[in-house]
Amino acid sequence: MKRISDHPILGEPEKGQLVSFFMDGKPMEGFAGEPIAVALKAAGVMVHRYTHKAHEPRGIFCAIGRCTDCVMIVDGVPNIRTCITPLVSGMRVQTQDGVTALEVSE
Amino acid sequence: MKRYDLIVVGAGPAGLSAAIEAARCGMKVAVFDENAKPGGQLFKQIHKFFGSKEHQAKIRGYKIGETLLAEADEAGVEVFLNATVAGIYLDKEVLVQIGEAMTHFKADTIIISTGAAENMVTFDGWTLPGVIGAGAAQTMMNLHGIKPGQRVLMLGSGNVGLVVSFQLMQAGCEVVALVDAAPRIGGYGVHAAKIARCGVPFYLSHTITKADGTDCVTGVTIAEFDEHFAPIPGTQKHFDVDTICLAVGLSPMSQLLKMAGCTMVDDPKRGGQVPLVSENGETSIPGLFAAGDVSGIEEASSAMIGGRMSGLAAAAYLGFLSESDKEKRLADLEVALNSLHQGMFAPGSKGKTVAKTDEGIAVSQSLLKKGYLEDTDLERFVHRSNQTDKNSGIHPVIECTQNIPCNPCQDACTKGCIKVGKTITALPQIDDASSCTGCGMCIAACSGQAIFLVDEDYAPGFASITLPYEFLPLPQKGEQGTALSRSGQPLGIAEIIDVRNAKAFDHTPLVTIKVPAGQAMTARFYQPTTQAMEQ
Repeated sequence: MKRISDHPILGEPEKGQLVSFFMDGKPMEGFAGEPIAVALKAAGVMVHRYTHKAHEPRGIFCAIGRCTDCVMIVDGVPNIRTCITPLVSGMRVQTQDGVTALEVSE
Repeated sequence: MKRYDLIVVGAGPAGLSAAIEAARCGMKVAVFDENAKPGGQLFKQIHKFFGSKEHQAKIRGYKIGETLLAEADEAGVEVFLNATVAGIYLDKEVLVQIGEAMTHFKADTIIISTGAAENMVTFDGWTLPGVIGAGAAQTMMNLHGIKPGQRVLMLGSGNVGLVVSFQLMQAGCEVVALVDAAPRIGGYGVHAAKIARCGVPFYLSHTITKADGTDCVTGVTIAEFDEHFAPIPGTQKHFDVDTICLAVGLSPMSQLLKMAGCTMVDDPKRGGQVPLVSENGETSIPGLFAAGDVSGIEEASSAMIGGRMSGLAAAAYLGFLSESDKEKRLADLEVALNSLHQGMFAPGSKGKTVAKTDEGIAVSQSLLKKGYLEDTDLERFVHRSNQTDKNSGIHPVIECTQNIPCNPCQDACTKGCIKVGKTITALPQIDDASSCTGCGMCIAACSGQAIFLVDEDYAPGFASITLPYEFLPLPQKGEQGTALSRSGQPLGIAEIIDVRNAKAFDHTPLVTIKVPAGQAMTARFYQPTTQAMEQ
């Protein structure tokens, strides 16, 4: 379990409503308002994108919107910094490949 | 174009402090921050701060953040969030991106408090998902309630690396090792000792040679290196980890100041490209100030003082504060700042090897190399402050052996047992004439978790040790586990004889263990049986 259920200093984390969203077409769950990257992390997704030239995987790196390593395609828009973009119910999140969506076999 | 008396860029500890002081002087103040929430990194700081009362010592960072926000609100400061300052132009005009719109604002004074960005190091595999900044780890676990990984290796033994390693363990992650290229631990010894007694090994003069994995990190190899920074063959060690955390320093985010045309200097001691500033933070451009990490990497306590100084200086610059009032108030703040700038970790001591404490005692080499005090160090430090003839009954043992700016232990003891004195970097002394009641306030007040209450004569053949225990699950009275030494080595069975968790302890529960009398000065941590079995 990656989520912290109880913390010695902070107690139980405050979370929004549990909502579903889509990751490369697959339904997943996360809490509304938390960064998309956090919901993905909880679901075990590590790779957010592949680089354009070398096709190397990238994921969360700075988690504060500076490094742009975690960008993905969100609701059809590429280069969305998932570490600072709040999750909304029904969001369509896609692994980014260069600047387009990674082709995923269904 | 909207006008303000003062525009502050960055709503972290420095920026908010500056805005509060300026607004209290009657200025109309706007603060812009690119993040969705104000407070900078304060809300990720869940440890108790160092310093003295005036620096809000022994208060946890996120609580200080809450206080600052309330004060800013009360003072009438306008905070714009998701507002990125994209440029500074002539006559103190700034361009701000809010949502999709670019908006111009103008002020008569500006304070830049944009903070710092984390440094990175490169190694084979460093771009793999699972290699993250230490700040990212803090953000994930302390703001968003998610573990950055299960098994983590930390690179960097400065205070950030040490504090975040401890926080990772508090969040339920396992820290397999702490690695640093430097030959000595860079941060406070007390922070290192908290990790060492949980059994985390330190590898100094080591660095990462490779991160393994194809789609994400599955392991890491470290190696010791020689004086030419070449790995020494045969010293490689491999760890199975899913996360590699980098805590290798910070660099000021001073681009806006450079853009504004401020005179910049390259100062490695301050972290890189920083503006030339007066002691109140005024840059080479009159009315333009810099406060906090952007003008030199320090920590939040000094950033807050620096911010307040710049806020007052900006107020005086526009005539909202008389020169005499300004001088008086700045002088007070300077005293507060100077007290943080003393001791062996003072900004001026960066990179220097300190052989002796201010008291003339040889520093513990073991603490610097391995993160814990050796038994042979105790004679010099701990017993020195504990020379009592009676040698019985409960008494504090303070394992604080470096001159760090901190004194809450002194105020915590109502019996006057503990003395630090006027210089807050002095090592605490125990007054044997005073009687310890065993209340435990000193343990909870010690931000470095370096105070223990020991009773050598708890029961025939047994001693009791009371220690801080900021982990879950909290042990229960009567349960049995393992006593660990300062280096995290199992010593034998320990029985929990008391667990206290008073509100005044502020989430630092005090656990009292019963151990054989011979372990009174060696047992310093408790490991529940369930955890021992998992390993």
